[in-house]
Amino acid sequence: MSEKLQTLIIEDEELARNLLRSYLKDNPDIEVIGECENGFDGIKAINDKKPDLVFLDIQMPKITGFEMIELLDFKPQIIFTTAYDQYALKAFELNAIDYLLKPFSKDRLLAAIDKVKHRIQNEEDNTEKLEELSNFRPGEEFIDRVVVKDRHKIHIITVDQIRYIESLDDYVMIYTYDGRHMKQKTMKYFETNLDPKNFIRIHRSYIVQVENIAEIQQYEKESYIVILKDKDKTKLKVSKTGYKRIKEVLHF
Amino acid sequence: MAVLKLNTSKSMKHPLTNNYRLLLFYSLFWGIIAAINIVLQVLWYNVPITYSLLDSGTNYVLYPLLGSSIWYSIRYNSLEEVSVGRLILFHFIAASILCGIWVYISYAIYQPFIYDDNKFLKDGLPPKIFAGYLMYIIYLVFFYAVNYYQSLKEKIKKEVEYKALIREAELQALKSQINPHFLFNSLNSISSLTVSNPEKAQEMVINLSAFMRYSLMHNEKEMVSFSRELDNIKLYLSIEKVRFGKKLNAEFEIDSHCMEAEIPNMILQPLFENAIKYGVYETTEQVTIKTVCECDGNTLKISIVNDYDASTIKRRGEGIGLRNIRKRMEIIYNQPDLIKITDHKTSFEVQLIIPQKQAVS
Repeated sequence: MSEKLQTLIIEDEELARNLLRSYLKDNPDIEVIGECENGFDGIKAINDKKPDLVFLDIQMPKITGFEMIELLDFKPQIIFTTAYDQYALKAFELNAIDYLLKPFSKDRLLAAIDKVKHRIQNEEDNTEKLEELSNFRPGEEFIDRVVVKDRHKIHIITVDQIRYIESLDDYVMIYTYDGRHMKQKTMKYFETNLDPKNFIRIHRSYIVQVENIAEIQQYEKESYIVILKDKDKTKLKVSKTGYKRIKEVLHF
Repeated sequence: MAVLKLNTSKSMKHPLTNNYRLLLFYSLFWGIIAAINIVLQVLWYNVPITYSLLDSGTNYVLYPLLGSSIWYSIRYNSLEEVSVGRLILFHFIAASILCGIWVYISYAIYQPFIYDDNKFLKDGLPPKIFAGYLMYIIYLVFFYAVNYYQSLKEKIKKEVEYKALIREAELQALKSQINPHFLFNSLNSISSLTVSNPEKAQEMVINLSAFMRYSLMHNEKEMVSFSRELDNIKLYLSIEKVRFGKKLNAEFEIDSHCMEAEIPNMILQPLFENAIKYGVYETTEQVTIKTVCECDGNTLKISIVNDYDASTIKRRGEGIGLRNIRKRMEIIYNQPDLIKITDHKTSFEVQLIIPQKQAVS
């Protein structure tokens, strides 16, 4: 491989960026083409510059390194950096993803770069691996926000903004109080990662926020619909198991 | 004493009905005494067996039955709480009533067996009354001993529970002190500074050491002066300031006579850690953490306010850090509601109220 790896650093702390830059300065394989201080800038830079390699910090303001991956159109090779995150480490180990634990030595960094070089030479694609990683949430806590991208704008939706979620084959449509957003995630993901006290899977195609339910109506014998608290009084079908779940959560 | 009182409802129960083994021993003990008495009377003193049975029956069966009620007379007349005079008077009256009832029932049983020529039962009255009082005293001692033993056992149990609670709280507090994320990120900053600014790296190592040392001291001393705790917070913030630079802005508004107030060691640090986690971590703009302290008579009030970006996070009230502080404050001051949390939507406020033994002025 004759060309240098076009490399991007995405890291919110200045000192951490400085260190990484100084480690990479004389490296014959690396050319640093940019640095970003937060995830928003990071997504833009990756999509614009299409780097070969990205050093990505997990803990960052606005959106985390994990959330960033969900929003990337173009998926470069990524070496994650983190100070301490047990859950993330588990995910990395499971998916054989490169990571560096801060503080790390130059040798450790070079070893990680070598692995990436090897993968690029073998033309290994890591898109699938990264996608799997973003579905992996081994933490015990439920998610409290979802990040989505509409054309060029990134939205952070806190879960209390979600009215309901509709399944659309490989995508889901998230209906919030001020619009709707498409996202490439499974219903299963939302069903397991949203707090079941607040969100109920009422149907194969729908997850509804409990607070947003205005009414439950019997539609035919043994078949129900929920009516939501919005202007249009959206009606959603309820499956048999869905009805059971609603009963459990609302205690009636 | 306070600890003992917690459990009085349980020990109000009669020890004999509550503890079957004790009941068995009690019955066995009086049964053996009765048997020995009968054997001696019949074989040695040639007392007719009927009379001996009557005598033993009333003395060692009837009295133990009636006497078990003496428990209640001691349970409601604690040795510590009632004066000696009242105690003696009370027990004299109780003994008289008990003896009266006992003698009356005894003679009601004797009645069919008393004949003119039978002196044995008739003349037995004065010594029987005397024996009644004597036995009352024996029961009294017995029940006081049982009561004392029970209380002691409860007290020890309570103490063990209490100690375990304190240990657990301490452990939890300790766990929340040195956040690994903070530690490793700080070490990474130092690693970076050794290349670009060795002097600053050295300063940060020293600050980090001082902060860690203070954290470890937590085990030895529960209370410190507010000025020391505040120094530690400033140390902590200076370390974080190296990491976050301009993004972190700390402001203090401290009433100067608060400095000598007493405050639990390391109680503030988790609050600042939270302020940084939810304030500074989650935004790209500058975040101000404002600390206001005032003393008002017997309390020290500390309020910590940090800005936060409500569009990216939804604060879920009380996390582990705040819960631990609340728990610790409850254990130390035995008072609820010493910590108040207010979400002002763009800022988050935690207020601590620290009671003072002496008025601070």
